[in-house]
Amino acid sequence: MEPLSNIPGGMRYYFGREARLRRAVEDAVMCVFDGWGYEEIATPSVDFYALFERGMGRDEARRSFRFTDADGRLLALRPDVTSSVARAAATLFAAAPRPLRFCYAASVFRQRPRSHAEWRRQERQLGCELIGAGGSDADIEVLTVAAEVLERLGLGGSYRVTLNHVGVFNGVAEQLSLDAASREQMRQHVDARDSAALEQFLSRLGKSSPTAARAGRLVRLAGGRGIPGEARELLTGELSRAALDELERLWSVVESLGLGEVFTVDLSDVSGLDYYTGLVFKIYVEGAGARVGSGGRYDELTANFGRREPAVGFVLGLDALTEVLARGGDFDSKNGAHADASTVEAADTSERFREARRRRARGERIRMEK
Amino acid sequence: MMLTVAIAKGRLQQDALELFARAGVRVSEESLASRRLAVEDERGRYRFIFVKPADVPVYVEHGIADCGVVGRDVLLETGSDVLQPLDLKIGCCRIAVAAKRETNGERRGVLHVATKYPRVAAEHFGSRGVPVEIIELSGSVELAPVLGLADCIVDLVETGRTLAENGLVVVETITESTGRFVVNRASYQLKAAAVVELIEALGRAVGEGRGGLGVGKEGTS
Repeated sequence: MEPLSNIPGGMRYYFGREARLRRAVEDAVMCVFDGWGYEEIATPSVDFYALFERGMGRDEARRSFRFTDADGRLLALRPDVTSSVARAAATLFAAAPRPLRFCYAASVFRQRPRSHAEWRRQERQLGCELIGAGGSDADIEVLTVAAEVLERLGLGGSYRVTLNHVGVFNGVAEQLSLDAASREQMRQHVDARDSAALEQFLSRLGKSSPTAARAGRLVRLAGGRGIPGEARELLTGELSRAALDELERLWSVVESLGLGEVFTVDLSDVSGLDYYTGLVFKIYVEGAGARVGSGGRYDELTANFGRREPAVGFVLGLDALTEVLARGGDFDSKNGAHADASTVEAADTSERFREARRRRARGERIRMEK
Repeated sequence: MMLTVAIAKGRLQQDALELFARAGVRVSEESLASRRLAVEDERGRYRFIFVKPADVPVYVEHGIADCGVVGRDVLLETGSDVLQPLDLKIGCCRIAVAAKRETNGERRGVLHVATKYPRVAAEHFGSRGVPVEIIELSGSVELAPVLGLADCIVDLVETGRTLAENGLVVVETITESTGRFVVNRASYQLKAAAVVELIEALGRAVGEGRGGLGVGKEGTS
């Protein structure tokens, strides 16, 4: 038997300054969501595994903690919140006027990490979802909310948001008429920016056509304003072109909002393609070795619950954000420390607690001496 | 902006540093001769750390090192989530199945495989439905079939001499491996200019090296 002093890997305690900072970050982020009209929603911590399998795709859902109920039905400790919010939108809120704006702060659990750097098995997610609104206005809205959140946390100059549209890659895959397995292989090469492997893969396919040669350059395309235009020279497929047009429109608004310095376009960001249907974005912050947030458009998800409608949203990892903020800076010094407590001393018990109640009524921070 | 580069100690180290030198990034002899594990290049733009090969992806995934040089064999075995923008074409070798000459890896109920690459081995045999028992060793893997600990081994083969000296032959090549330049996902975005500059310089150096020596054929990896 494990000694009782042991803690399962990937689990931990939070206390003191770090716990205060965590709460302050969560409050600040939820406050921004609220400011944009997003309503808080709390979802079940335990749900049917099938929900997550549908919502996140099998590979992601399989990372969850799973168990059965008394009737043998497969349950999971929630590995994400979005699936559940999408179900609520299609069912509980079926009759509510669109668009719906939801936000949440919730712990998610994963049995297996995605990488060595993501050792946590419990992580608190702060997220928002805009459901029932399509088009670039909705995309811009969540991007703007994300930017405000990061600015509010004092990360103004030190974050980066990378933008992509899944149609760019999907268009290439479609043009090359790849089957599911080759498509996934190509996706992995692009995702790893492994241009050598990608070129080999394409030449092995016997598609030494201009399409393949041009697709090989996809991995090098990252940057700002010029990228969609440059890519349009390379990618001729209709789907890719339409995606690039959308990205270009998005980018011109991003630039006009003064966010051109912190946002970039990265056409090689191709993770989560099964889930997202349009815009995808990732959020990076200086001092964190892995991304601190991600999001995008997922227009197909709600169809699983009988009502297909456009949706877009993102999540931020509270743990990763707090780790960066705890290393110092304004947000930490304002929120990490707390006011000194005054001690309440009086020999008589009744007198002591009367005094304590008086000071508490004035909002003072106190500590009982005994 | 200074970049931290993790270099795999051992097999790849010398070739990697020569490649960096050709790319215009030089570490002084003096620094290298010292026993320090972290040294800066002559212009103070890069910090090199020297770690065990299997630790390179760990440092890079956590973003403690922005980038690194490590063999593809290690990346496959550790299943690392890092970007791999460049094949450095150094330390060319292969991961292969080898067995005693006389048995040639013939099958029994369960194949006993000794290896330093349990994940690669399990995936290889698993993909063809061969039941195996993986015996993880940390060195001198060639001994295992000789002494009867295993039926065959999965190991890195460079020249094949060690195998031959122990009476082993390559039964099958699983995959080729070369040194890779790897980059942390966040550094790739947050230090984009510096990272791209280094990738391009190294890319040119790789190209020159191959042209100059007249070796290296297309598509070895």
